Amino acid sequence: MVSSRKWLRRGTVTTAAALASGAVIAVLGAGATGAHVTATAAASSRPANEIQVLVYGDAQNSVEKFAVAQYNKTAEGHKVKAILNTIPGADYQTKLQTIMSTSAAPDVFFNWGGGSIEQFQKAGLLLPLNSFFQQNPKLKSSFLPSILNAAKIGDNYYGIPMRGTQPVVLFYNKAVLSQDGVSPPTTWSSFLSDIAKLKAKGVAVPIALGGGDQWPTLMWFEYLYDRIAGPNLVTDALAGDKSAWNTSASKQALGYIAQLIRAGAFGPDKSWDSVKFTAGQTAPMVINGISAFELMGSWDYSTIQSQGSTATGTNPPNGPGAAFVSAGKLGWAAFPSIPGGKGNGNDLAGNTENYYSVLATTRYPQAVADFLKIMYTPAFVKAELAIGNLTTTTNTPSLISGTDAGWLKWQYNLVNHASHFQLSWDQAYPQTDSDTIHTAVANYFDSLNSGQFISTMEGLKPAA
Amino acid sequence: MTTTLTEGGLAGSKSSGGVKVGRPSFLWSLPAITFFGLFAIVPLGVVVWLSLTSWDAIGSPHWVGIANWKAMFSDPIFIKSFRITALLTALGIVTQTPISLLLGVWAAGYQRNRAILAALYFIPLLMSAAAISIVWLSLLNPYFGLPREEHWLFGGALFNGGFLFSSPATAIGVLTFVGMWQWTPFHTLIYQGGARSIPEVLYQAAAIDGAGRVRQFFHITLPQLRNTMITSVVLMLVGGLTTFDSILILTQGQPDTSTTATSYYMYEKAFQSFQFGNASVIAVVLAAVTMVVSLIAVRVSGWDKMRSTQEGM
Repeated sequence: MVSSRKWLRRGTVTTAAALASGAVIAVLGAGATGAHVTATAAASSRPANEIQVLVYGDAQNSVEKFAVAQYNKTAEGHKVKAILNTIPGADYQTKLQTIMSTSAAPDVFFNWGGGSIEQFQKAGLLLPLNSFFQQNPKLKSSFLPSILNAAKIGDNYYGIPMRGTQPVVLFYNKAVLSQDGVSPPTTWSSFLSDIAKLKAKGVAVPIALGGGDQWPTLMWFEYLYDRIAGPNLVTDALAGDKSAWNTSASKQALGYIAQLIRAGAFGPDKSWDSVKFTAGQTAPMVINGISAFELMGSWDYSTIQSQGSTATGTNPPNGPGAAFVSAGKLGWAAFPSIPGGKGNGNDLAGNTENYYSVLATTRYPQAVADFLKIMYTPAFVKAELAIGNLTTTTNTPSLISGTDAGWLKWQYNLVNHASHFQLSWDQAYPQTDSDTIHTAVANYFDSLNSGQFISTMEGLKPAA
Repeated sequence: MTTTLTEGGLAGSKSSGGVKVGRPSFLWSLPAITFFGLFAIVPLGVVVWLSLTSWDAIGSPHWVGIANWKAMFSDPIFIKSFRITALLTALGIVTQTPISLLLGVWAAGYQRNRAILAALYFIPLLMSAAAISIVWLSLLNPYFGLPREEHWLFGGALFNGGFLFSSPATAIGVLTFVGMWQWTPFHTLIYQGGARSIPEVLYQAAAIDGAGRVRQFFHITLPQLRNTMITSVVLMLVGGLTTFDSILILTQGQPDTSTTATSYYMYEKAFQSFQFGNASVIAVVLAAVTMVVSLIAVRVSGWDKMRSTQEGM
């Protein structure tokens, strides 16, 4: 147990280091102006002849490696090298927040737009990209305006789309559905009868849920609240109207979730707490037919595809997951509509896009601008499409091809026709609230205590 | 510890010139004091100050007085976390001590198969805590791991039907088991060293007096290992109070907050909720509690005196 002691120490030291940089800012003057002074002063102290690119570490990093390699081949890239760093999934936002105001901050970093960068922008840590757009108008015109706008704060743009739009959809195992005589659900009632049929046929866990991670549980709330109460409930709550959580529509949505849990849709009571998406445990449940459905972001396509794969680098996945997808056994559907509810059946929830934002103190803005150009080159777009990411560049539709074309075109239409795209609650609310939200949804699934859920949500600070 | 021993050594030596003679000047301890001050005292002071501020890791902390302290001491999860920490520590000591004692004594012998088997037992010691936790997380998956393969064992209520991370009791059980798997080799090593240093003549004398293996164990080995046992238990105690990595990877304080030990709650407050003020309160309290508990353990056990078990030989 000696080494676990080190953890405490390490925590203290990190805190002290982070604090020291905080103190520097405080000395140079309070508030955003002070931070800006430090920011400018620090530019020359950043590493020479390199730009640090930080991304969320997962199965999709192969394309980010490709983008960095492409940039390093350009004339600017010979002078200033781009270096790719990754932080494994679950820890990304945590680590990013702790290094952003230190000298270890990345020049360019992955984020989800919206609430995930708002605090950085307020602290004067982000570079507005407007000047990049003036210098190179294609950097703006090559992306869908609605997507660029999701990373716009005030009059300034802060993000360049860099992966794909990621709506949450209902994945299913076609073989399980057809052998049990079940068709993909379009309405809530058909969904419930599907679950009942599957249970009767011996599918013990009709829906795979990584409850141990908590955030996959949140997706069920996002969709049911949208379908029943309409998008306004969450928009109002985000704007500070706490009473939204205590309305009859809110309680009705909670009731629908309870109905699903009581029907045993997620397996025995609380069984979901022993399963983690981040540990790669839900994909094999769908592939092996232990479960029929999984509600997950579109990234699950590549998660399922790379299940059990031993391929490295940019090689295509080769495991049972890849075989499952190429055999056409993976199905996908929009979340069922709820007739009588206020929300449109076309509404989506999920991640609007992922963005690269730029550190205000970056030493090489020109190099960064050149790196960002890669994001709309046909070669990069094709590489993203090849791993199942739906890029939001204007040239995307003409570049969709190959074996995954069906999945990508279906998604593209879904996003195109969505009347509302709800950003995940844990990203729409300030980062300081996300833990509370995750605990609230996990506790509701375990206890079905709606009073506790409502009072927790009422206690959240509104989005700034 | 080192200073105490040195002083004892000096006092016991025959230099009758009093304190002035032979005692090294204060300067000699300067590197150690500087190091300790820089990496222990200064951060601790900063954390105390931080516990009186509100800070989210961006921008500068602002003073809020004792608001964080009030909030934390009326936080039921914080209070409960101490019970969980105490439980995990106690379970760790109770499960690891007998096993590592027996294994250590056995490994101290000179049997033919000993070297190979002992080497195998020490393998977990070479693996990082994170790697061990990840391996067990996969092995204990309810749908693909041991609970499914060995359903006859895990299927019952004792193991919550194989959903080990879904009930408080089994989640605590998993943490205790993985801790045991991970740390027993380390303590076995300590006991092996202790048992090896027991003089062979004691056993020879006992054998002549007609004492069998069991009596030799209880009347020679165990009393001779007294100091070894205190060392091992104090290490388990302090380690148990600050258990963190296995909780982070295996249970993340769940289900509900039933495995949220104090150190993990501190991490959660600091790096999940970005409430560094509240997290610092926990850090200060945890540091104080750990210090007090170690002091009590050292005093009660007589570790500070550490009298030889071979007096009179």
